[in-house]
Amino acid sequence: MKPCLMLMTILLLSLNTIAQQKYTISGTIKSKAKGETLIGATVRVSSGGGTTTNEYGFYSLTLPQGRHKLEISSMGLQSNFLELNLRRDTVINLFLDDESVSLSGVTITGNSTRRSLSTPQMGLEKLTTKEMKNVPVLLGEKDAIKVIQLLPGIKSAGDGNAGMFVRGGAADQNLILLDEAPVYNASHLLGFFSTFNSDAIKDIAVYKGGMPAQYGGRLSSVLDIKMNDGNNQDFNVSGGVGLISAKLNVEGPIQKDKSSFLITGRRTYADMFLKLSNDSSLNNNSLYFYDLNAKLNYELGSKDKLYLSGYLGKDNLGVGDLFGLKWGNTTGTLRWNHIFSNKLFSNTSLIYSNYDYTISINSSTTQADIYSKIRDYNLKQEFQWYAGSNHNVRFGLNSIYHTITPGQVTTPETSELNSRTLEDRLSWENAIYASDSWKMSDNLSVTYGLRASAFSILGKGDFYNVDADGNVTDTLHYKSGEFVKTYVNLEPRLALSYKLNTYSSVKGSYVRNTQNLHLISNSTSSSPTDKWVASTNIIKPEISDQFSVGYYRDLWNADYELTVETYYKTMQNQIDYRDGADVNTVSNAIEAQLLFGKGRAYGIEWLFKKRVGRLNGWVSYTLSKTERKIDGINYNKWYNARQDRTHDIAIVAVYQLNKKWTLSANWIYYTGDAVTYPAGKYQIDGQTVYYYRGRNSHRMPNYHRLDLGATKQLKQHKRWSSELAFSLYNAYGRENAYIVQFKDSDDDPNKTVAVQTALFKFIPSISYNFKF
Amino acid sequence: MRNSFIYTILGTALLLGTACEKEITPDLGGNDSRYVVEGVLTDEAGGCSVKISRTKDFYSDNSFDGVSGAIVKIYHGTDTTVLAETSTGVYTAPELTGSSGNTYGMTVNIAGEVITATSIMPSKVNMDSLYITKEEVFGDTQNQPTVQFQDPAGVANYYRFTLYVNDYKSTNIYVRNDDLTDGNLVNANLFSFDSEEGDPDYVDSGDQITVEMMNIDPFVYKYFFSLSQSATGENQSASPANPVSNLKGNALGYFSAHTIQRKTITVP
Repeated sequence: MKPCLMLMTILLLSLNTIAQQKYTISGTIKSKAKGETLIGATVRVSSGGGTTTNEYGFYSLTLPQGRHKLEISSMGLQSNFLELNLRRDTVINLFLDDESVSLSGVTITGNSTRRSLSTPQMGLEKLTTKEMKNVPVLLGEKDAIKVIQLLPGIKSAGDGNAGMFVRGGAADQNLILLDEAPVYNASHLLGFFSTFNSDAIKDIAVYKGGMPAQYGGRLSSVLDIKMNDGNNQDFNVSGGVGLISAKLNVEGPIQKDKSSFLITGRRTYADMFLKLSNDSSLNNNSLYFYDLNAKLNYELGSKDKLYLSGYLGKDNLGVGDLFGLKWGNTTGTLRWNHIFSNKLFSNTSLIYSNYDYTISINSSTTQADIYSKIRDYNLKQEFQWYAGSNHNVRFGLNSIYHTITPGQVTTPETSELNSRTLEDRLSWENAIYASDSWKMSDNLSVTYGLRASAFSILGKGDFYNVDADGNVTDTLHYKSGEFVKTYVNLEPRLALSYKLNTYSSVKGSYVRNTQNLHLISNSTSSSPTDKWVASTNIIKPEISDQFSVGYYRDLWNADYELTVETYYKTMQNQIDYRDGADVNTVSNAIEAQLLFGKGRAYGIEWLFKKRVGRLNGWVSYTLSKTERKIDGINYNKWYNARQDRTHDIAIVAVYQLNKKWTLSANWIYYTGDAVTYPAGKYQIDGQTVYYYRGRNSHRMPNYHRLDLGATKQLKQHKRWSSELAFSLYNAYGRENAYIVQFKDSDDDPNKTVAVQTALFKFIPSISYNFKF
Repeated sequence: MRNSFIYTILGTALLLGTACEKEITPDLGGNDSRYVVEGVLTDEAGGCSVKISRTKDFYSDNSFDGVSGAIVKIYHGTDTTVLAETSTGVYTAPELTGSSGNTYGMTVNIAGEVITATSIMPSKVNMDSLYITKEEVFGDTQNQPTVQFQDPAGVANYYRFTLYVNDYKSTNIYVRNDDLTDGNLVNANLFSFDSEEGDPDYVDSGDQITVEMMNIDPFVYKYFFSLSQSATGENQSASPANPVSNLKGNALGYFSAHTIQRKTITVP
């Protein structure tokens, strides 16, 4: 609490006293066509200075009395210019028109958001739906998460894996927010698709470093996804039919200009094809997912707005009646925007988030259901205070109540297995934060802030003391409502930018993050059944400190952008399984199966982007190192983290051939993951057993792949437009290793061989999308 | 569960015909030529043996690389038996048997390198029957050998099974504890996710199958459990590692004093 008060004091002292009479312009900026509020739209003052809209389209700008010229612009929309004589506080709400179509129908202005040279925020990647629209993807299913993984510092976990690794962090160290609700498992269908239906998404921001103080709870990144609000001007239906899935999006006004709704649904139907098959090995199995996004917004008055948004997604995977696995996320967010004054904006959010899975086993001798869940009730209150022309202050609080059901085994009377319920784990996570973005001079800006987080572990439950060998030495009983332990952490956030000239700048940042929910996985591939555990008396909060420095330059009239960022990150209290850990049948004391240590990651990232023109796209290259050191693993020495990849390259190109055709391609190359292969072998009980030496000292084969895509715009009518999208995934048929297995040779049992399996070679697809 | 998930992914890809396999020859580094000791004492005559070998290069053959000239002893209290080397690296005491409840020790001295271990022979749980369960897996009807036994309530029991199909010993490792089955009548399925028709451990009508059931101590259970999780080369543990051994000294392997029973049937 104290440092926060201090910060507020510094903040207040640093506010300039008002010398000249100043007035404030404020308002909301929306798109004209749909009435969607615009995030990050720029309001620029010709005399210098300006601001951008916040996540609800609101802006506030304080200027000296007198005449001003304003330019209001947003990606892909026509800029609006206005002149005014400022003599009192003024509210200006604006609508921006869709971009006019020029050069025989080919849009040649920007395709992507321009990154800002002057704001201190670094390590931020923004993606518009327009930008990801044309990038070819597996089975033609547009997927924001897959496109994000083509940016530097963000690595995909590979074919058939859902995870994403940001700057050396593990897959669970990414905070994934959908309309502020945390999504605990962002993957569908074994990781081939993400849970985010691109039709419902308005804006995606990924913070790889320099996270603003309003975000916390994960070490490596924040992926902040905002859903569309829904068209408040007109009814709109759009949809698509692809090889494996179909989707439909319906939106429209409830009250024109004031309120709207949006419903988006998606379902895969690959399993229906399986049903058509005569092969009983196929038609008995199920493999599908569906998801549903819905949003309502309602304007209560000029100063109040309500938003209600929800997401529901379910996956179902079954091998006949024998084995079944179902998992899914449910989230709900109720938000209330209130404009206290033209300088003070408030948002209150009530958030619900749930992730659960059920494993069903139904063999003739064993029947059991295993159920596990993580559920959050979450309150957020945030104020944005436009304190002066040079200060923009945010402060707020966040309180989350977590319930984790670690694994409940339910069996019928007749089953030979006994039912068992592990205790629910309860915890309460609180944070307060404040930050100020301060424009110190025309060239120098700073954002400084502090987040104080407190994580309380609550009873009822048994907690343990564990000795160095992983034996439980003591069991501590706590009653319902009792505090077991509270971890308090201060997380300073600092970012600076210095504009060298009109086309280049340097930035630096330091950020500390903590994490109290940990995903425990001991597999190479992420599985929906990986365990979420909260910090306990033994499992300490993970802490990361990241320093980063970057250079930003616009080239050739800002048609091209060059971004170079380098980072060094240390991580404390990292978790790994002990050798021989039994993950599935252990009782409550999971601590006894774990080891703790530290990690470090460093690297340099280049991004060269062509934003405009018929040909646009980017080249990204990351050179990095990620290591861990955990006592009890690798002879207590540093070893490569699984996701350590020395080189990671992505090239993305989109070419607008003519009015009808858009062509696209991307090529990916990365160093194989660090893995542990056997160093030798021996015989135990007459069978071959492998001998292992260091952890992750070998490499999977290098990965590379080319994908091609083409979109054909079909004949457009007044209200109806449609397109055909073709894609070819892995165009040159590279066999990228999914796993490498070591085994006795089938041909000669006296020999051993290493066999790699690739999941697929070429995957062609076609889909049809429409809009009316 | 972990492996079944991965097999499901792989199985699906294989079924859809998109997956492809090929042999690769990665550089694996040196094998360190470590000692491997596998010591076994059972409640049957002829069941006592200690095998000593060394780790070998991955690309060499699978033959047993025995280590001669070691001094090998098994003891219970002050009662010590010295084992005789009957073939290269294989040391036996044909008459030596153990009894449930006793603690047995093993010492191995290989040219000054001393390796020791102890193991408690657990109580024997009767193997009631062996029969075949038919189960549909990926459209294929599998014959799954099933062992029925009554788990004693209130005590921790650890079991290991080995399966022979027409005298071919299956390479699957079957171990289980009674964490979720304490006191129950248990039907233990010995099935293989990846066994296909034509494989030597594929169980077909007319085959003769033999199952050995062993009651093992918790440390030996840990050894075989961790072996099955992370050292058989075939699964997808992110952290393959040497199994957790109960040996003290610079060697891989284990020492187990266990009870053993077996039954043989012909698959209907």
